[in-house]
Amino acid sequence: MRLSRFMAVSMSVTLLSLVYVWQQNEILRLAYERQKHYTYFQDLLDANSSLRYNLTRNTSVITMAGRMSEEHGFTMPDNYCLVKVQGYSRRKQTLVSRVFGIRRQAEAKTIDTAVRSLPRD
Amino acid sequence: MYIVNYRRRVEAVFCAVLIFFIACLARLLYVQFFNADYLASIAKKQHNLYVELEPRRGTIYDSNYKPQAVNLAFESVFAAPNDMTPGQKEAVVRGLPGILRMDASVLRDRLSRKKSFVWLARKVPSEKIGLIKQLNLKGLGFIKESKRCYPNGYLLSHVLGFAGMDNNGLEGIELCYDKYLKGRPGWAVMLRDARRQRLNVYDNSMMPRDGYDIVLTIDEVIQYIAERELEAVFRKYRAKGASIVVMDPRTGAVLAMANRPTYDLNVLDKLDKDVMRNRAVCDMFEPGSVFKIVTAAAALEEKKVSEMTPFFCENGEYKVAGRILHDHRPHGTLPFKEVIELSSNIGTAKVAQLLGADMLYRYVKAFGFGSKTGIDIPGEISGSMKPTRQWSRTTITCVPMGQEVGVTSLQLAAGISVIANGGNLMKPYIIKEIRDKTGDMIKYTSPSVVKRVIDEDTAARMKKILIGVIENGTGTMGKLDHFTAAGKTGTAQKVEPSGQYSHSRFMASFIGFAPAEDPQLAIAVTVDEPKGMYYGGVVAAPVFKNVAADSLKYLRTKDYSGGALALYETR
Repeated sequence: MRLSRFMAVSMSVTLLSLVYVWQQNEILRLAYERQKHYTYFQDLLDANSSLRYNLTRNTSVITMAGRMSEEHGFTMPDNYCLVKVQGYSRRKQTLVSRVFGIRRQAEAKTIDTAVRSLPRD
Repeated sequence: MYIVNYRRRVEAVFCAVLIFFIACLARLLYVQFFNADYLASIAKKQHNLYVELEPRRGTIYDSNYKPQAVNLAFESVFAAPNDMTPGQKEAVVRGLPGILRMDASVLRDRLSRKKSFVWLARKVPSEKIGLIKQLNLKGLGFIKESKRCYPNGYLLSHVLGFAGMDNNGLEGIELCYDKYLKGRPGWAVMLRDARRQRLNVYDNSMMPRDGYDIVLTIDEVIQYIAERELEAVFRKYRAKGASIVVMDPRTGAVLAMANRPTYDLNVLDKLDKDVMRNRAVCDMFEPGSVFKIVTAAAALEEKKVSEMTPFFCENGEYKVAGRILHDHRPHGTLPFKEVIELSSNIGTAKVAQLLGADMLYRYVKAFGFGSKTGIDIPGEISGSMKPTRQWSRTTITCVPMGQEVGVTSLQLAAGISVIANGGNLMKPYIIKEIRDKTGDMIKYTSPSVVKRVIDEDTAARMKKILIGVIENGTGTMGKLDHFTAAGKTGTAQKVEPSGQYSHSRFMASFIGFAPAEDPQLAIAVTVDEPKGMYYGGVVAAPVFKNVAADSLKYLRTKDYSGGALALYETR
């Protein structure tokens, strides 16, 4: 075997070995990278769950109703006390009101008109 | 000469390199063909790590998909005593007790063990973990674990139950439906580097299956209203215990179930077992006058009486089989409907005598007393109802007024629902549906009729009589302001250890439904040993009134505001 060919073969083998080692190294580096991102992602998910939990707890009926009734003396309103606001509709405007810029007011109706006539406390 | 020397040198180098390569090849061949298995097993042990993958425990929702039990990530603290110096151990003993509120001697004991892993504290809140990490103590490690948390604390505690440190259900629905909630763990073989750190590169794995989500029939708001009123009566009358069950009489769906005393599901240290008991299904008691609905319904159904049939109530004292029956107030002659409205024991005993023992027993059983309702929560008892062959001569007069019979609060709610819904005994249920994480339905509970107990006409007549109880009778304190209601009061003497009926310990109760014309809620309230006042009409009826009024207002506004969330909105 000629020296040059031997050198070429040696070089190729060395190069291939280096590529193999580099590739293995890259796999591990990427795994570490992925691990870092995954941990960060998990931390974010956990923080999100924790926030959602705190939100649920702070807006739960126990917390809200407890605060409202203890601090502000709130009691459950009767149906005739509740108002349903109907959305503003352009179609309901008459020609006259449109020309003169008179806008209809939002209409307030009680939720249950059937109990409206009942005596108030 | 020079060329020859040069050539020899090159050949020598070539030979040396060749020998080196041959040696390497020989070593490679040896490693590959003769030592491969042994070396591979060592490498596998060093680089591969078998890890169990924990599934996420299912969430429990109320009927509006508001979460009642969820999982949160918490960090646990461990130490490796074998790898720690005495100085490091001392630093841990000095630093941690203040943060973890642990006894220093406990920590010192754990760190003195000759182990490579000991838990110091499990599932520690994140703010405490932050403080520990700031101390930068050597030899400590942190592992993430999931912990069961209950956003509403004490709300629904007896029904939900709780899960333990290892996320296994220990009480209530958490225990009963553990197989659905806990999921199936997975596993993975992961890579580990030279520092023994885990790399999320799976060599082989089976992913875990997360637990299923459970949706209850309970409505969080109605549950809150029920608990609020029960707490108030429990405190006001310094009672030994109290229970309330709110049901939809049309379907049997339980909308609220609460007991006192209660406990916070997030604080489970040093809990008394007595506090954890779901009294509404686990405790049996003599119901007292609320049981008169059974005798009255049976007498109407069997056409033994009509509303106006007169009964002489013996002016308050009636001698039967050597025993004297009393009314809480003496009455002369009363029409049947007033016997019930005014809760006359003597009048009801006479109605029962008209019916006869066998027929009365048949109706008691038909109303579901003496048998388990079959509700899907653990620990339910059947109550007690002796067969007629074991009855004494006085039993026929005792059973109609709720003595010599044992019932649960849930059975009372199911019993009053029979009259509310037109005569059907519905099977109570609390699990509405079970879904997997993708939202697919695994199990769905639909309302089920156990049997028809009385016909619609009898139920309507009974309804009128029970409206009379609230309008003119013993239950006037249960009258609602803007809704009609029907109900029955009960005041039962408790049995002393000597076997005699007590004159100081009572069980106050009230069962009813509202609105009377189209019942949406059936409610059973029981207050055990109230102090001061003890009549069901005074102690328990106001609870019924407040719960029914606020719940009905809430249900109407809920109908107008668009109802429940979709499950995906909660995730």
